[in-house]
Amino acid sequence: MDIIIRILYAVISILVATVWGLTLTGIVRKIYARVHGRFGPPVWQPFLDIIQTHSRRVAISHGYMFFLGPVFRFAGGLGTYLFIPVILGSTVFGNFSMGGDVLLVMYFIFFGQLGMALGAGEGGHPYSPMGIARGLSQMSAFEVPFSLAIISVAIQYHSLNITTIVQAQQGSILNWTLFTNPLAVIAAMISLLGMNGHAPFSIVMAPQEIPIGPPIEMNGSFLGILQTNRGLFAAAKLILFMNLFFGGAAHPNILVALLIMMIKTFFIYMFSVFVGASFPRFRPEQSFRFFLKWPTAIGILAILYIAYL
Amino acid sequence: MNLVMTLGFLLVIIGLWAMLTQKNLIKIIIGFSIIDTGVHLIIVSIGYIKGRTAPILDASVSVADAANKIVDPIPSALVLTAIVIGLAVTALMLTFVIKLYQKNKSLSIDDYQELKW
Amino acid sequence: MVSPIYILILSLAIGFLLSVIDKTNRKFSLTAFYGVLTFNVLVIADWFYRFLFLGVPTLTINTAGFRAPVSINLQLGVQESFVLLFTNLIGLFAAIFLYKKFKESNISSLTLYLILIMGVNGLVMTRDLFNMYVFLEILSISTYSLTSFGKTGKSLSAGFKYMLAGVTASTFFLLGVVFIYYFSGNLNIDFIQASQFTNYGSIALFLLSIAIFIELKPFPANGWALDVYEAVDSGIVSVIAVVNSAAILFLFYKIMPILPERFLNVFGIAGVITFLFSNMLALKQKKAKRLLGYSSIGQVGLLVASLVFTANAPQHLIYLIVGGFFINHLISKAGLFWLSGIVKHENISDWNVLRGNRSLLILFGIFLFALAGIPPFAGFWAKWELVKLLVHSKMLFALSAILLGSLFEIIFLFRWFTLTVKSDIAATIPRWDASKIFSTSFLGVIAIFFAAMIMKVYYGFSLIHILPVLAVLVIDIIDFLPSKVKGLLSLLAVLAYGYYIYPFESNIQLFFGIIFIVGSAVNIISTLNRTGKSEGFYGFLLMMIFSFGNLIIATNYLEFFLTWEFMTISSFLLILRGKQAQKASLMYMIFSTAGAYLMMVGFAFAPQLMGNSPLVISLANVQLPLISIILLSIGFMIKSGSLGVHIWLPEAHAEAEADVSSFISAILLKAGVFGLLLVGISYVKFAPSFDIFYWVGWIGVLTAIVGAFLASFQEDAKRLLAYSSMSQVGYIVAAIAMVSHLGWVSALYLAFNHMMFKSALFIAVAGIYYRTHTRNMYEMGGLIKKMPLSYITVLISIIAVSGVPPLSGFGAKWLIYTAFISNGWYLQAGVLFFASAVSFLYLYRIIHSIFLGQLKYEHQDIKEAPVWFIIPQYIFLGGIMAISAFPNLIIKPLNKIAMHYFGSSIRIDGYSIFSELGHWDGHVVMLVTMGAFIVPLLILLLLVGKTQKVKQFNIVYAAERPESPQTTHVAHNMYAHYRKALGGWGKPRIWNFWHSASEWTHSLADYFRHIYTGNGQTYVLHIILYVVVIYIVMGV
Repeated sequence: MDIIIRILYAVISILVATVWGLTLTGIVRKIYARVHGRFGPPVWQPFLDIIQTHSRRVAISHGYMFFLGPVFRFAGGLGTYLFIPVILGSTVFGNFSMGGDVLLVMYFIFFGQLGMALGAGEGGHPYSPMGIARGLSQMSAFEVPFSLAIISVAIQYHSLNITTIVQAQQGSILNWTLFTNPLAVIAAMISLLGMNGHAPFSIVMAPQEIPIGPPIEMNGSFLGILQTNRGLFAAAKLILFMNLFFGGAAHPNILVALLIMMIKTFFIYMFSVFVGASFPRFRPEQSFRFFLKWPTAIGILAILYIAYL
Repeated sequence: MNLVMTLGFLLVIIGLWAMLTQKNLIKIIIGFSIIDTGVHLIIVSIGYIKGRTAPILDASVSVADAANKIVDPIPSALVLTAIVIGLAVTALMLTFVIKLYQKNKSLSIDDYQELKW
Repeated sequence: MVSPIYILILSLAIGFLLSVIDKTNRKFSLTAFYGVLTFNVLVIADWFYRFLFLGVPTLTINTAGFRAPVSINLQLGVQESFVLLFTNLIGLFAAIFLYKKFKESNISSLTLYLILIMGVNGLVMTRDLFNMYVFLEILSISTYSLTSFGKTGKSLSAGFKYMLAGVTASTFFLLGVVFIYYFSGNLNIDFIQASQFTNYGSIALFLLSIAIFIELKPFPANGWALDVYEAVDSGIVSVIAVVNSAAILFLFYKIMPILPERFLNVFGIAGVITFLFSNMLALKQKKAKRLLGYSSIGQVGLLVASLVFTANAPQHLIYLIVGGFFINHLISKAGLFWLSGIVKHENISDWNVLRGNRSLLILFGIFLFALAGIPPFAGFWAKWELVKLLVHSKMLFALSAILLGSLFEIIFLFRWFTLTVKSDIAATIPRWDASKIFSTSFLGVIAIFFAAMIMKVYYGFSLIHILPVLAVLVIDIIDFLPSKVKGLLSLLAVLAYGYYIYPFESNIQLFFGIIFIVGSAVNIISTLNRTGKSEGFYGFLLMMIFSFGNLIIATNYLEFFLTWEFMTISSFLLILRGKQAQKASLMYMIFSTAGAYLMMVGFAFAPQLMGNSPLVISLANVQLPLISIILLSIGFMIKSGSLGVHIWLPEAHAEAEADVSSFISAILLKAGVFGLLLVGISYVKFAPSFDIFYWVGWIGVLTAIVGAFLASFQEDAKRLLAYSSMSQVGYIVAAIAMVSHLGWVSALYLAFNHMMFKSALFIAVAGIYYRTHTRNMYEMGGLIKKMPLSYITVLISIIAVSGVPPLSGFGAKWLIYTAFISNGWYLQAGVLFFASAVSFLYLYRIIHSIFLGQLKYEHQDIKEAPVWFIIPQYIFLGGIMAISAFPNLIIKPLNKIAMHYFGSSIRIDGYSIFSELGHWDGHVVMLVTMGAFIVPLLILLLLVGKTQKVKQFNIVYAAERPESPQTTHVAHNMYAHYRKALGGWGKPRIWNFWHSASEWTHSLADYFRHIYTGNGQTYVLHIILYVVVIYIVMGV
């Protein structure tokens, strides 16, 4: 019985996050269009896209790994999300956070990426591995400031447990990590730019270079699953950042708490979007070098600041 | 140190000089001979005691007071052996030189350095 | 019993009668000749037996009816008879070796040979200084004459140079003798005391001793000897190098008591310098006999040094050290010179003709290994004890010089060995000569006999420690069997061995037992794919595996070090089996030996252990001094391929045979880990004031990141995996260096995990190599369709490496990061995060380039890897899956193991593990992941229904239509952009460093050896100058 209720909760939680994630994606597309001087698609366009791709009559597969690639990707998104407590104290939105701490979430992010990379690899299209090579390299670079920020936060709260970290930020807005450990937040937010893959770090799907990169061979429902995941995964990442750095979402009323979550994640996302809309794209090596320089230095300072000052 | 010994050392040094500077194989051997002779002189001079006679027991030297009359006999015995050995070595060296000359038609030591490093 | 005076008389008498006997028939003269030599050996052997076992007192033989000092007396005791026994034995066997030549040569050679042997015997026995001079001259003259035995032009000029040097030395000798007589009034060394020589008197002693020392060929006054070694016939030169040197060395030993201590010390140091420089100069040698000459001179220098340095040691140690070096030099040098006579090729790279005869090749190996001081041969023990002695007497400069010299020795000897075993045979194979092979084999037997004696009688090792060597012997006997049978037998042997040592193991030992023994057993299955006989393979494999096991149960330093060396040599021989492994195995050997020497010194500094418990237990109560910790750590880190000393690792892994690499990477590297853990065990209680492990930790994390980057830039699958191992072991080293509970739990967890996934990966790559015959990943591609089982192995394994949940790798990551952060190693943790992220690069590269992308046309009909490769892979996969789903299986025991040393820092509650920072529930993660995977899979299956299969090139491709897999498969130089981003950081600095270190050493050696101009006069000048320098240094 307990299991069924848990699964039910998980389904609700996932649905909310996916819908919110897709909506955010829609909003972002709208904003980008306006910046580019277009009207852009409606905000619900991502939902339409998913329905559209799923209704294709033919799906072309290049082999069993190709088939499993999107599954891995979506499982990665699901897993990442499921190990993050979304709302402090909520059982419905607490997800399976007893599975592990922030380290688990960090590594679960890789699950989908790796699986997708393998699936795309079997597609046999040269752009896929090119995009993946760029993506993995960039990931290794932005992981550095991000992990330094995580370490700094772990030192600060003497915990890697997300719930504990959120708990510690309650009470006042000044308790947010943003204010208590600003260097770590700066480092992490710069990493977020890389994670979200907006310009100047849009080298993975770089349209003019390797058009849409890894998922280039994906079609039909394969693409549909990837698009669904894009919403969920975006939400998961944003919620993780909200929890770690921006006080999380906590309110006795679950709806208010959800609202807080949406507002916070919206603004966190907007940071990427603003930067992305204003800057040109780096070349791959510029991108890697960028992350390994200033954000890394800031991350190290964040650790030194917290640990020794 | 007496005169003979000094002379001996002088010969050793002269011989050494010959061995180190002369390029001709025969001359090098002669250098060695001079050294050898010098060494023999040194040996003899060690056993010599002024005013004594040769260590031969005959009518003039009786067994009883031989110890007071004769020079130290051991260096004399040693030098005999040393001379013989020196002779053998010199002869052997000369043999080598003959063989070397037969083979390479040269007596200069500079022509025999194909083995090196 | 026959009085030893007869061996002199008979030699002399028969020597001169030979020319008469020869008038009748050469057969008679040969019979007489060999009869005398045999007679000598028998008489002395008889005496030796009496002295050693019957306690007969030392024999003094007076001549001319008077007692010493009035007459000349001879002495024969246990030392004399020992030296004489072996010199006469070598003399006899050298004569047998020369049988063919003696049959045809002028009779005078036989006479000279007998006189030479007589000179040696007399020189050793006589106690009278002038008599020594006479015997020395007899010996010299006969030797000079014998140099022309081969009748080559070169040997004549070499002989002449030899004479020039010899007469110079004997002039000093003679002067020394007469002046000693002048000052002491005596010629018998038993009646002369050092105190009789004051002021000028000591010049007499100086002249005598320097003359003998010059005869021992000190560097640099030894050019003449090198020329002789190079030019003279191998049979004769073996006598010069071994028999003559031994006699003169004994002469030096005899006059040692009358020399003042300051003389001896200078001679000792000069000996060390000779050893160091001879071996260094030998690095540039390509000519076998000249190389052996350099080595001989070095060995004699070492012998002099050890004679001097052991002067105050207990008797049995002197016997072991000096005797060990002596025997070792005797056997190996004579053996190698004889082999040079059999091979008849001057250049060392032509010695590969030895491969035409298996037993000769084995003999060659025995002699080289003995010379290099590899166990179980005598030189190893001597070196071990000498190092201990030098450490205790604080002679660290001498110690470093000796070890450096030994390292040079290893370099040229093993270069020679690897060239012989590996290079292509170009020269013609000579006809083997029975009498030569007989003599040489005899020496091999003697070498083994002594090795066994020292191990059994002196040290009393039990059978288990000899087992690695026995394994080689046994497999050698059954080597005619097909390799599958031997493989199965080996598997059984390993299992039986594991069962046997099981009772000796407790907690941490058992854990390593599983890694070493069970891991090896599973890995052996992959070797069953071998066809043919795989001669020699299983012997060395078993030797290595048994050595792993013996490491765990070793109870003292010597057992540990002995086993360590067995492991090194067996793994070296296994690596050498690879087709292109000559350079790789040599590099492995050089680095391993350097590490071993550091360890040897480290152990020598360590306090003595009490009791008989295994090292893992006894070391916990021992305070290792800082120097020990540093040296041991470096030694073990070399073996585990830490940054800076890692350059051997990729070469060795890549070039070893496909099924050997997995042993080396997955198991051998763990030996270094085990060693480091041993140091750590002492560190727990007795951390030194200077926290050296803090820096070891840094090296560990830097190894992890550099290894990961290097792996990402490889094209060769095995090199990629090798660098990955380097990186992973870097994590382990860093975790051990934390010396904390969680640190050790994570280190052991990682070690176990790494053993499984790296075995699986290497075996998978072995299977792929077996099918594709290439290691370059860009030459593959698309193999997922042809080798799905291998693909699954690689997939699961790389997930386990990467640390992606839910597989076991995540447990390692979780543990290690938690450990680092709780330990306060924050920046190190940051580096590790970086390393883990970079590891995705190479992991993706290997799986994509091999299995995904475009299938090559030549691989269209390729099959799945053979079943022998698949079985072990899936056993390891089973292990990975088991500890992934049930982490408690491994975390609980590891928690307990670490709790022997620290308080526990984790709480295990059901399937959840709580650290002070966070928590992880492997079981929940596994279930959630399965759910998260299965649900979308079902959805997709439902939505997609039937998919349409397309052909290889049916892809959405703009512009040019793809038509060849080569141009469509993105694999070559995959991370070019990253390399560009790294800029100057991407340069192979460490490789360059070692490369230039090697170049410099060789250039320096080349520069120095030019002092040997080949001019006889220059050599005499060297001698004179050397005498002057020594005179000044001694301050006579």
